[in-house]
Amino acid sequence: MRLQLRPRDARRGLRLAFTIGAAVTASAYAPRARATQDAQARVTFFREPSTANEGIKVLHPQLDAGTSLGPDFHFAVGYEVDIVSGATPAVFGVKPGTVDAVTQATHFSDTRHQVSGTLAYTRPSSSWSFGYSYGFESDYRSQAVTGGATTDFLDHNFTLGLSYTHNFDRVCDANNDNVGDQLLLLKPLSKSTDCFTSAADVSTQKLSIDTFQPSLSWTATPKLLLQVGSTIQILDGFQSNPYRSVGLGTQAAQPQEHLPIYRQRYAVYARGVYALPAVRGSGLMMARYYQDSWAVQAVTGEVLLNKYFGNEVLLTLRGRYHIQTGASFYRNALEYEELGPNGKYWTGDRELSPMSNYLTGGKLAWIKKPGQDRSSWYVEMELSAKYELLIYHLESPYAPNADRTHAHIAQGAFSLRF
Amino acid sequence: MHSASTSRNSLSPLHGERVKVRGLRLMLLLALAGGGCSTAKWTVKPHQRELLADRIMQPDGNAQETAADEHILANREGAIGGSGTSGGGCGCN
Repeated sequence: MRLQLRPRDARRGLRLAFTIGAAVTASAYAPRARATQDAQARVTFFREPSTANEGIKVLHPQLDAGTSLGPDFHFAVGYEVDIVSGATPAVFGVKPGTVDAVTQATHFSDTRHQVSGTLAYTRPSSSWSFGYSYGFESDYRSQAVTGGATTDFLDHNFTLGLSYTHNFDRVCDANNDNVGDQLLLLKPLSKSTDCFTSAADVSTQKLSIDTFQPSLSWTATPKLLLQVGSTIQILDGFQSNPYRSVGLGTQAAQPQEHLPIYRQRYAVYARGVYALPAVRGSGLMMARYYQDSWAVQAVTGEVLLNKYFGNEVLLTLRGRYHIQTGASFYRNALEYEELGPNGKYWTGDRELSPMSNYLTGGKLAWIKKPGQDRSSWYVEMELSAKYELLIYHLESPYAPNADRTHAHIAQGAFSLRF
Repeated sequence: MHSASTSRNSLSPLHGERVKVRGLRLMLLLALAGGGCSTAKWTVKPHQRELLADRIMQPDGNAQETAADEHILANREGAIGGSGTSGGGCGCN
């Protein structure tokens, strides 16, 4: 079962690479010490209940480990899994005989694996990193290479970061080679067992993704850190959900979802972190504007509050709001049935619909460091637990996934640096 | 028209000189601002970074945690970017 069509692999490695670079840059001021190792394990459980079926469940374990290689290099490896089960929307349309059920779903389960490796080289005022990742599941293969660089200037008060990632992805699809311009004849993929074989009923589609991300951070005052950045992404290839069909017109045509093969995506953001020493805490605010060549526009805002209790307990509260317009070719299920498609593309994807969502939650972390007056076998260890609630607001009861109003996110993690 | 044209012609050399002088002043100001005089005012010294060094002052936070968060959100929204790097998704919509 296909899990997704997102450039996830590269971004995972990219974030890791940048974090490694930033961490090593920050430690460049410290005296050269022994080699350090780090390991981190995390498990996230995602549950999206449905009023119409069993909904969706995702178990997402992650494991990362890294070590310094001499004074300037750091090498890290990562492994993560997605264990997904539930009901996937197979047909987006008005269910016959009813007026409110818009999504027909079938049971599925699948597992995705991903491995990654990152090498970072750091100098006192700059860093470079290179990463590779490979992800695979029954109907999707992804390889990604990424490179990034950061440099400090003006007494380390400014940091300029640049990164580039390229994904070489392959997607399993039904064999629609003979459809030509008869797009209403596009048939969905029914199963993944023949994917990436020479079977006649499947084909392999390519998806190329280029992502460029510049950022500029400024240490504005001893209490304030500001950052602006951008994401520019170009996708070229098959981007539809191969399993999904969309009900079009009153003749009950249900062709496979059909999306443009080319998409340009742009986002700009600004973030600020402000220290609140009086309460032993900090506050973070983020604002993002996004638009793409499919006419999706979005605004996102986020607030994070951190506060220490004692020397070892850290509480984090998070609030986030996201609102977006739909893609130019999007229509809800009723409109697709009554009006037909808007041009030659059609979708049943919630991501491409006009909608908003709220996220709120908190995390409690226990952080242990050895006292400064004695040596210890470890540098730091952390144990944390987090819960967040995600609430969806869709524009219509005929929107995709209208049967799912919210989701629960629970997470536990343990990290060790030694 | 004739007088206006004459006026422009007679002012042109002086106008050009003024533009050059203004340009040199602007370059000088930019050089001072970027190179030295204002640096001390606009930068934070190492001994002033005690608060900034704490983990709660890192905008990217924990890389693994952020990746997991975006893994969920990026597949439920049409947007990307905004948190240092963009996120992944699990495709479970």
